[in-house]
Amino acid sequence: MPRTLLPGLASMILLAGPATAADAPPGASSCTGCHAPKKVADSVIPRIAGRKASDIVAFMREYRSGTWPSSVMGRIAKGLDDQQTEAIAAWLAAQPE
Amino acid sequence: MATRRHFLKLGAGAGLAPAVALAQRKAKIVVIGGGFGGATAARTLKALQPSLQVTLVEPNPVYTSCPFSNSVLANLREIDQQQFRYDGIRGAGVTVAGTSATAVDADAKTVTLADGNSLSYDRLIISPGIDFDWKAIQGYDEAAAEKMPHAWKAGAQTVLLRRQLQAMDDGGLVVMSAPANPFRCPPGPYERASLIAYWLKIWKPKSKLLLLDAKDAFSKQRLFQNGWAELYPGLIEWVPLSQGGKVTAVDPATLTLTTEFGAHRAAVANVIPPQRAGAIAAQAGVADRTGWCPVEPVAFESTLRPNIHVLGDAAIMGGMPKSAFAANAQAKVCAAAIVKLLAGEKPQDPIVINTCYSLVAADYGISIAGVYRPNKGQLTDIPGAGGTSPLEAVGGLRGQEALYASSWFRTITAETFG
Ligand SMILES: Cc1cc2nc3c(=O)[nH]c(=O)nc-3n(C[C@H](O)[C@H](O)[C@H](O)COP(=O)(O)OP(=O)(O)OC[C@H]3O[C@@H](n4cnc5c(N)ncnc54)[C@H](O)[C@@H]3O)c2cc1C
Repeated sequence: MPRTLLPGLASMILLAGPATAADAPPGASSCTGCHAPKKVADSVIPRIAGRKASDIVAFMREYRSGTWPSSVMGRIAKGLDDQQTEAIAAWLAAQPE
Repeated sequence: MATRRHFLKLGAGAGLAPAVALAQRKAKIVVIGGGFGGATAARTLKALQPSLQVTLVEPNPVYTSCPFSNSVLANLREIDQQQFRYDGIRGAGVTVAGTSATAVDADAKTVTLADGNSLSYDRLIISPGIDFDWKAIQGYDEAAAEKMPHAWKAGAQTVLLRRQLQAMDDGGLVVMSAPANPFRCPPGPYERASLIAYWLKIWKPKSKLLLLDAKDAFSKQRLFQNGWAELYPGLIEWVPLSQGGKVTAVDPATLTLTTEFGAHRAAVANVIPPQRAGAIAAQAGVADRTGWCPVEPVAFESTLRPNIHVLGDAAIMGGMPKSAFAANAQAKVCAAAIVKLLAGEKPQDPIVINTCYSLVAADYGISIAGVYRPNKGQLTDIPGAGGTSPLEAVGGLRGQEALYASSWFRTITAETFG
């Protein structure tokens, strides 16, 4: 019996582990090119990991509509629909601050 | 039916999956090239799945970054601020083979190394950057580049060009030549012209810069040209293809550049020659007749050879430009996709972002951005998104974008090299 149990367990552990990080929603992994996950000296670009998802979504909506002025974020926000933005925001919010 | 389905389920749950799982855990990934694409891919793979065996093949112990190397030419930075070692990547659990890859056998799934060793792989990532087409401009070979530097791979060439500029008499003519598309860093030659002009204006105010171009339009063109008119009136002359901008031959002995319309003698000459994917790509059979590498737009796997992924400048990435930002973003997407593929799952369609800053002066930045997704087998611009900085800058925008540019550099080099 252990012969069938063990491989089953192994695959479960495997699924629970790294799959989550590889499952970041589309677009999310590009953010860290500018928004550092860890503190970087002398950067004026804000960190967004661990921020509230609803705040990130609100900012992205205002960037997209131009209500809130931005340099590059408005141009990027226009490439993401509401659902995609919400998924990225939720994922960023779940990252360690 | 019910029994069969039950059996299949059992088979998948207790037999097949663990076999896949075990193979996935022990999988060997080889990455050729430790630049923005390859170094990021190696690190990300290890972070996503620490049990993978990841080997990064890179002959140089120190990587010299092209982004911000134009600032070195203008004396705004030193070359050592461009340099990064691989200790952070080793610390992340990646094995670094300090040698170059000389051959890839796609059928046997092996990579031959210059030190005589060979590596086998389950998946191979190739991110070798560019090589120059030394036959494209008559007279411009590797020896000529010692007299007329390209400085399009940063390092000794950057330092050489800077030294030549500093040694030039005030009043000397600097001549640059830019290639036709596609090439590494589309706004790069124009940022370089800007920053050389910035430096000339201070130190050699009687000098001029002639920019001979093999094309009639370029990236962020109006922003650059407005900046030149505002900051360096009369200093930079841009000659497009249609007015004889294409350089066809050079003479390194006299620093002469010959175009379809005439000849120009330079005090300092910077020739940026046509390019193609780093040579190992063609050797591996993943480059096509254009010299670049076609890939599918989800995991960036070669359409010519299975189990080989190509990243960064070497790849044909649809609408995405050849930039460090793009190479880094593609690498993160590719790493996640490879983890999925090893698990026998289908990777999701990605969204990939690019943002490129250029400096027109030390405190004057402009940008171009794009958001891309797979469409008909290519990474394609999402309509309505992206574009350049506005032509009218309000509220200190240019200064702010210059600060964003240097912040971006610090962030991306930290993410890539640690
Ligand atoms: C002047 C200039 C300014 C630029 N400015 C910017 C900028 O502001 N922003 C931006 O986003 N991009 C910029 N770029 C573009 C950027 O440098 C490239 O797009 C980026 O380096 C591409 O990354 P890569 O991984 O494809 O190649 P590279 O970074 O060139 O890395 C390739 C690596 O592969 C190694 N290699 C090659 N062949 C082999 C082999 N056979 N075996 C083992 N290793 C091998 C090389 O040694 C090298 O380390 C600039 C470029 C230039 C020239």
